[in-house]
Amino acid sequence: MTAEVDGAVVNQTSGPQQPRTLAWRSVLGLMAAALAIWLLLDAVTLEHNAEVSPIGTRRSVAMAVLRPLAAISRFTQVSRLESTANGVLGRSTVGSGGHTFVVIAPPVVQANSTKHPPIHPSVTTLPPDPLQNPTAANPLRALLLGDSLGLDLGGPLQNRLASTGLVAATLDGKESTGLTRPDYFDWPAELNRAMEQVNPQLVVVMMGANDPQSFLGPPVISYGTEQWNREYEHRAVRFMRKATSNGARLIWVSLPAMRDPALAARLGTVNALQKAAAAKVPGVIYLSSNPSVSPGGEYTAFVTSNGQNVPVREPDGVHVSAQGGALLSEEVVHAMRHDLGVPIR
Amino acid sequence: MLFPTIDFALFFLVVFGVGWSLSGKPVLWKLAMLGFSYFFYAWWDPRFVLLLIAETLIAHVGSRRIHATRDEAVAKRWTWVTVGGLLVILGYFKYAGFFAVNLDNLLRGIGLGNLIPLIQPTLPIAISFFTFMAISYVVDVSRGQLEPAAPIDLAVYLAFFPHLIAGPIVRGSELLPQLKRRRDPNRIDYSRAAVLIIQGLFKKVVISSYIASAIVDPVFSSPSSHSGLDALIGVWGYAVQIYCDFSGYTDIAIGLAMLLGIRFPVNFDAPYSAANLQDFWRRWHITLSRWLRDYLYIPLGGNRGSQSEVARNIMLTMILGGLWHGAAWTFLVWGLLHGVGQVVAHVRRERRAAQGLLPVVPSRLRHVGQVVFTFQFVCLAWIFFRATSFTNAFAVLGRIVTGWGMGSNLVTPMVLLTIVAVLLVQQMPTRLGERLAAMWSNLHLAVQALTLAIVLLIITTLGPTGVAPFIYYRF
Repeated sequence: MTAEVDGAVVNQTSGPQQPRTLAWRSVLGLMAAALAIWLLLDAVTLEHNAEVSPIGTRRSVAMAVLRPLAAISRFTQVSRLESTANGVLGRSTVGSGGHTFVVIAPPVVQANSTKHPPIHPSVTTLPPDPLQNPTAANPLRALLLGDSLGLDLGGPLQNRLASTGLVAATLDGKESTGLTRPDYFDWPAELNRAMEQVNPQLVVVMMGANDPQSFLGPPVISYGTEQWNREYEHRAVRFMRKATSNGARLIWVSLPAMRDPALAARLGTVNALQKAAAAKVPGVIYLSSNPSVSPGGEYTAFVTSNGQNVPVREPDGVHVSAQGGALLSEEVVHAMRHDLGVPIR
Repeated sequence: MLFPTIDFALFFLVVFGVGWSLSGKPVLWKLAMLGFSYFFYAWWDPRFVLLLIAETLIAHVGSRRIHATRDEAVAKRWTWVTVGGLLVILGYFKYAGFFAVNLDNLLRGIGLGNLIPLIQPTLPIAISFFTFMAISYVVDVSRGQLEPAAPIDLAVYLAFFPHLIAGPIVRGSELLPQLKRRRDPNRIDYSRAAVLIIQGLFKKVVISSYIASAIVDPVFSSPSSHSGLDALIGVWGYAVQIYCDFSGYTDIAIGLAMLLGIRFPVNFDAPYSAANLQDFWRRWHITLSRWLRDYLYIPLGGNRGSQSEVARNIMLTMILGGLWHGAAWTFLVWGLLHGVGQVVAHVRRERRAAQGLLPVVPSRLRHVGQVVFTFQFVCLAWIFFRATSFTNAFAVLGRIVTGWGMGSNLVTPMVLLTIVAVLLVQQMPTRLGERLAAMWSNLHLAVQALTLAIVLLIITTLGPTGVAPFIYYRF
């Protein structure tokens, strides 16, 4: 038996304990209304997410829709609901970058204090430099940074370094980030924070895969121009200078070759600019990822290691597999031993 | 197009409106659903729509040939050819690279390396799911359990977007009759659907994402950096993560189908309340385990035959079930562990039966002990499922055994609370969802819209920025 309620045909045999049914038009209206209300409530965050997305048609359309919604949301104060919730949760009101796989993972091997004093070579009464003589009580403090490719290296590298018992490695990575869009995720600010917290003697960085896009400015600096190249190299130099500002050494790992030729070409440019930047900053070692995961600078899904095929790349043709990360980690450890004189095995 | 995105929400509004406006015109409705489903799949990669169409054609032609012949031997041949063709496609995209690498490694051992070309085909999303559905359709036709469907019906059955990416693995007998029935546009079970969708979103966007980033990913990416406690809780955390991720997806899929007037089978039934492995597999990924039972285990002989034959059947089924998830030795070991566990349980049951002993009805305390033990065993197997390699798996295991006495930096009260809450909820039978649906649907429509929007806001606020893909979509 049915009746009309709220303009909808409902099953009248439904009592208060039974979920009622509705006609499709009412359900469509309900869903559309709920979505519209949610868009209004969340408009400020959605507007920010659109702003920090890659420049293109999708971003333009999203901004055209969300900007007026966000303005209404602010005017009517409904955005305070979300900002209050974020405040309670201790989060920034706006988004802070892509999906996070790993944030700072403090090492298990702890030094005596959480904040370490900077090392002054002129003070002879301090303990030996952990870079040259790390011990379990006074381990070498390493900071590993990067985007998703940096995480592909960072996880295995952190594991490898921790297994020595002489290195306290902190991993700080965030997917979909880079140096080009600080509005999406501000790596220079994050570096400042991480350097302050960890005060590392060694920094290892691998990032850049998300960087081939225009600088938002203003003014917008289009990717593929000489101006873009100069600005990118300048940002890389500033980043490297900050990473070595406390006397730390920096190992900057290049991006491996990509399966897609267009992407490979773009990242080849990024690699070249990062390499040029590394040459300008003292204390930076530029380490090529090619020998371990893309021999000869060509993309390959497999390499031969110890006489066996090892899959070094993920099926997406971009990311490095866990085995590839392990091989690349050994390259970093080799550089630590031979270029920095760190006595680890 | 991932479910928990604005893109999908807008897409679904259009599908819903167009679908129901065509509800009185079944052919147009099917064409529209098919078009929307192909569009949905093409969003990932347009090339693979052709693959989906190809498998549909193979299943269609094969089932027609099987049905048309009266000769059992010919029908059997056509069944093998059709199923074989579908498996060849799945095998190429999913397993060719794996076998090539391993075969080459084997040949290298005798100095014959570099003979096999090493390939790494791009894996089409959801290929395991729709291939298994196509196989079940063909086999059901060959068994006389199903009449061959009209081509459009078959195409919609295989491509229907709510189940396309990560199941449930729906049988032809479950979905095809629904495509023929007229769905009532005036009686949409929207509130139950809404509760399912919200529940699924919460599990996936909030719980699964949180546990992954808070403890699971750090532990598995760098076991040596974390303590034994971190590793142990990290493994339990993965059990919660994969459950919330996968069952969350299934809840959303079932809810979406319900909104379109289609009923999907249940795919999860509180799996971590299982008191033994057999019970676990009746509660975890139910549609896959029944597929394995009906199309692999029983044809192999099932429970018939000697103890060693039954053991063989169980092991083969579980190992192949493991490999279904991915082309890696760790997935095989995951299946192997479950197989061994089930064989041991089977042998014990048979021994009790042979001695004339009735099955033990456990006391409450014993039952709790069995549930805890089953959960720990399942978690042990999950280590291999999650690990990137055997080295990684044993590193995590090793950490659990030897990493005590060090400080934990990942186990926080919120992590523990989340894990315990999810596990406890599974122990309690509840009709809370039904009651919530009833309560909510009896509010004024405007209030319903407002509460729905606020709940969505809570989910998006609690969840991370950006959307992580579902774990099972890569199978």
